Amino acid sequence: MNVVVLLMSVLLAADEPAAAVTPSAEQLRFFETSVRPLLAEQCLKCHGPKKQWGSLRLDSREAMLRGGDSGAAIVVGSPKKSLLIERLREADKDLRMPKGGQLTKPQIATLVRWVEMGAPFPPTQKTAQTLRDPDHWSFQPLVETPRPAVSNTAWPESDVDHFILARLDEAGLNPAPRADRRTLIRRVTFNLAGLPPTPAEIDAFLVDESPDAFAKVVDRLLASPHYGQRWGRHWLDVARYADSNGFDENICHGNAWRYRDYVVSAFNQDKPFDRFLTEQLAGDLLPFGSEDQRHEQLIATGFLSIGPKVLAETDEPKMRMDIIDEQLDTTGRAFLGLTLGCARCHDHKFDPISAEDYYGLAGIFKSTLTMRKYQKVAEWHEHLLPSSAATAIQKAFDEKVESSKKAIADFIVEADRQVRASRPAKPSPGGDSQPENLESQYSPEAKAKLKTLRDELAALQKEGPDLPAAMGVTEDKVVDIAVHLRGDPLTLGDVVPRRTPTVLKGARLPTMTDKESGRRQLAEWLVDSQNPLTARVIVNRIWGWHFGQGIVRSTDNLGLLGEAPSHPMLLDWLARRFIEDGWSMKSLHRRILLSSTWQQSATVSPLSLRSDPENRLFSRAPIRRLEAEAVRDSLLFVSGRLDETMGGSLLTLKNRAYFFDHTSIDKTTYDSPRRSLYLPVVRNNVYDVFQLLDFPDPAVSSGNRSTTVVASQALLMLNSDLVMESASELARRLLAEAGSDDERLARLYRLAFGRKPTERERTSDREFLAKLTPAGKQNEKQRRETWAALCHVTLAANEFIYVR
Amino acid sequence: MNFSTNIAPNMSRRTLLQRTGVGFGALALASMLAGETVASGEDANPLAPKLPLVPARAKRIIFLLMSGGPSQVDTFDPKPLLTRDDGKPLPFAKPRVQFNATKNLLRSPWKFRQHGESGLWASELFPHVARCVDDICMLHSCYGTNPAHGGAMMKLHTGSDSFIRPSIGSWVSYGLGTENSNLPAFVTICPTLAFGGVNNWSSAFLPAAHNGASLGDASVPSEKARVKFIQNSKLPREIQQLQLERLNKLNREHLKQTGAEASLEARINSFELAFRMQSEIPKVEDLSGESASTIKLYGMDQPETKNFGRMCLLARRFAEAGVRFIQVTHNDDKVQWDQHANLKRDHEKNAKEVDLPIAGLLTDLKQRGLLDDTLIWWGSEFGRTPTAETTDGRDHNPEGFTMWLAGGGTKGGFRYGSTDDYGYYAAENKVHIHDFHATLLHALGLNHEQLTYRYAGRDFRLTDVEGNVVHEIFA
Repeated sequence: MNVVVLLMSVLLAADEPAAAVTPSAEQLRFFETSVRPLLAEQCLKCHGPKKQWGSLRLDSREAMLRGGDSGAAIVVGSPKKSLLIERLREADKDLRMPKGGQLTKPQIATLVRWVEMGAPFPPTQKTAQTLRDPDHWSFQPLVETPRPAVSNTAWPESDVDHFILARLDEAGLNPAPRADRRTLIRRVTFNLAGLPPTPAEIDAFLVDESPDAFAKVVDRLLASPHYGQRWGRHWLDVARYADSNGFDENICHGNAWRYRDYVVSAFNQDKPFDRFLTEQLAGDLLPFGSEDQRHEQLIATGFLSIGPKVLAETDEPKMRMDIIDEQLDTTGRAFLGLTLGCARCHDHKFDPISAEDYYGLAGIFKSTLTMRKYQKVAEWHEHLLPSSAATAIQKAFDEKVESSKKAIADFIVEADRQVRASRPAKPSPGGDSQPENLESQYSPEAKAKLKTLRDELAALQKEGPDLPAAMGVTEDKVVDIAVHLRGDPLTLGDVVPRRTPTVLKGARLPTMTDKESGRRQLAEWLVDSQNPLTARVIVNRIWGWHFGQGIVRSTDNLGLLGEAPSHPMLLDWLARRFIEDGWSMKSLHRRILLSSTWQQSATVSPLSLRSDPENRLFSRAPIRRLEAEAVRDSLLFVSGRLDETMGGSLLTLKNRAYFFDHTSIDKTTYDSPRRSLYLPVVRNNVYDVFQLLDFPDPAVSSGNRSTTVVASQALLMLNSDLVMESASELARRLLAEAGSDDERLARLYRLAFGRKPTERERTSDREFLAKLTPAGKQNEKQRRETWAALCHVTLAANEFIYVR
Repeated sequence: MNFSTNIAPNMSRRTLLQRTGVGFGALALASMLAGETVASGEDANPLAPKLPLVPARAKRIIFLLMSGGPSQVDTFDPKPLLTRDDGKPLPFAKPRVQFNATKNLLRSPWKFRQHGESGLWASELFPHVARCVDDICMLHSCYGTNPAHGGAMMKLHTGSDSFIRPSIGSWVSYGLGTENSNLPAFVTICPTLAFGGVNNWSSAFLPAAHNGASLGDASVPSEKARVKFIQNSKLPREIQQLQLERLNKLNREHLKQTGAEASLEARINSFELAFRMQSEIPKVEDLSGESASTIKLYGMDQPETKNFGRMCLLARRFAEAGVRFIQVTHNDDKVQWDQHANLKRDHEKNAKEVDLPIAGLLTDLKQRGLLDDTLIWWGSEFGRTPTAETTDGRDHNPEGFTMWLAGGGTKGGFRYGSTDDYGYYAAENKVHIHDFHATLLHALGLNHEQLTYRYAGRDFRLTDVEGNVVHEIFA
């Protein structure tokens, strides 16, 4: 920010009257937080860009100095001589400003203080230019960069290392030594599978003397289904995946899990990222070769549908635009690293994205059908997934309806018969007439029974068959929409033809037709190899998930408010290779994991700590806490309880049923041994274990989880059933698998930490066990409790949930 | 995007501790870093008590949330014309956006009377609160924008109905810290999980230490409401003590292997804090030392008022223990005050449940001298329409409703602002939710324009870019 302030100061000095002071950051802050809102709210309606009563404008410093019909509005440094202040304090109602009102004393005091300090005012025009810089690095085409020369040619294992080492050379730093094998296999297994390595896997790697031993481990893990479960979850953070709507009406996304499973499978198949992106934005518009492929592509569009929506919004036009805004903002953050949502009400303050750019994109989503009903409570669209299974479900349902109808008809026949039987026979006048309706003459019991039968049929018909369906979008009427001034659907400006933003250099702007929404064209534009952002953004995300921080640390924002890349050349080099490799994420993983950079130890030299305290130069490996899912999965895994079944839904609620209504009763159960990925993600009430361990807010796209350390996490480790039961099961496992206490201790450390205990640790543990053991002989239950108490400690230890 | 709170590996201890909160107060940690902290003038512990930005009138807030929206024209804002014109159409336009369609005007079924020396009005629904009106400051001209429970609840708690933002309690925690290092600064008792749920007491992008700690939720009676994981049902304290010692040793050994690493050290300390909290919170919750007259004062001896009475008493005890923001939610297994129908029956039932306990809280705080620096806030996400929905009900109305304050430097027996003649729209001296928030922060000595947090490149405030302090209500 300092650079910006400095720039503004320079511009100011060149531009402003001689009396102008250079506003300090503090003064500008005061202006922005206290003065500008006051002027905007109280004065600018009549003295601004639209109206200039008394020829006066109060929206720039020059204009105030120039003044209006009555003279200058302010005299810099002298509030008492300033007409502006005088008019605010005026006793005569007709002369006092603002017309028909009066500022409070503190408000007037704010303006007095501002005039006293020299009326600092940021030079709006020029600053905006600098801020909304179209020449910003990330909007420029990818640069082809040669591999830089380095001091130590023995260290690099891959080209990546040249870029890293060159920067370390410049800083006079050495990379950290290579991590030992135990550390490496633990790190890479958590990294790719989200689980600790088994003792057998560790042993196999330790004895493998072939030069490609580590590459083999990487290949094994990339081929394992755990890879997709682990890395698919990273993408689900970005896709703000959730099994409930959240917000005001927290109802069940009963079919969102199909999108989750699609993502897992896309990672496991190494679906090229350009294809992955295209399916998520426009899968319904792509050609298909089989029914399965068609389903997969429809499911992929769930990306656009699973966002949070205010479903009881009573203002329908607003709801429509809110949903479009959410889709547009998520698409922007996820694929472009830009906060497009900011341009809904005005041109983006920082990035060169205009309101026209926004409404050009919004037209694409307005031409897309996301909701089947907008009246509260609104309902999202779902794709039916026809298949032989679906046909069978429909058939079974139809039969149920038929049999219900038949039951009613049979009942009526029988009841009629009884009514007729119970009354004296009447000769029917003139032969057969219309069948008589006898319902009113039924017995009360028969009436009640008939009502029940009819209610059952109505309920059945209302519910409909539970056919396989997926949340997703389809085409709607193709329209271009007008700029909504200040974001207000009731105040419209010019209509903007559907289009993509113009600031990004390289990719050709797509041609829109009035036959299609333009989602397909939007996807094509995003994955155009000349698009400067798409490849940079995903490569940077993947780097960040490997190292704990991206080359650009603000992985969701590569715009002007994002941070600068630490290694811009490396980022472009990786992005170009990624495109050349056919957008293969697995190839990118290999490039990164097989580098010396990634295989450094976490050992930090005093010099590195001093000159690279935040590890921006990647001069060592980070020490990282496991994510919420990995903590839980590891607890289940080491205690031998993890159920590795893939896919499907664990929801106990019906689609569109309320997770939380006014009763606040939590109907969700997390009591499942399945991998954490498959537990329901309920917005507004994320599973408490996840919530405490920094699971991101599933209502917003987020590619970079935070890691906090708070006491409530310690309470979770000390007292939760999850940890207590894991400890107890682990104790059971140890008692079953090993004979002596020493063998059990060895097993415990190998399972939990992937190493042997030290002599000191063994001694302490024996002491601990002894203190807990009552005098005399221990029974089985006591033994297990004693060991469970020790296992509990082990599972709560830093070494268990931090990876080096 | 959370990079601002992310722990970069091997980051300096001080930087790290600025970015992470070691729990509900971190005395050990703060003292560990005392040297650095003093030297740099920076605050290491996010919950360390902070001096307010402007002179404070109140040190803490107790928020009594009447979930669902009590009707202003049936409680504290009498409208003679509404009585006169019962059954006639509203003589001016209804809002463009309404939640449900309503019909003609519906008079209040309850009588109003003036009370106390101040002569403030209260209906017969609140006979006990009426006794306290001389300590109460009525704001009759509150208004919001959102007519649905979810949006309005989020607006009321976070200032935003379209984005996830920190709750007001989290802002207060962030601004002032806690006065008791073994307790969170923000506690919410039996909150509803509907209509925004956790978002209404979460810190969003503020550091996690500022999350509200919830005691139970609206589905459990207050007697059973506890902080999650606060107790271990199986392990006795002595065993936990031994475990903690063993854990500490194990972690210290590990730390020797890894070398100094702030997040590992912070986690070691977090266990000690957790252990202290484990004994501190149950002490606050233990009401066995309260006298029979206190129990009676809060109505805990009567079935209708027992549940809410307990919440109010807990609120006082948390206030005494140094918690900054205590929220109490009146919410049953329906949306308590949401009388689209059965207004007469259910408003009576609801008022009965809270009236005595609230009066008890005000009385108790006053006699203990706590009302001077404790601000009581009674309110809801919106009010109700003076027009009828069905024949005995009213729809949601965010256009004008009453909330009241007591203590914390506000003028007792004072009324501010008004609605129109029928009580539909806020008319005079309107107080938007943002204005209301600005005023609450002001009472605590926080300037709502300066209490900012930088996130995703922008300085965020509770009041967004709005909010005017209502100075007139302070004594």
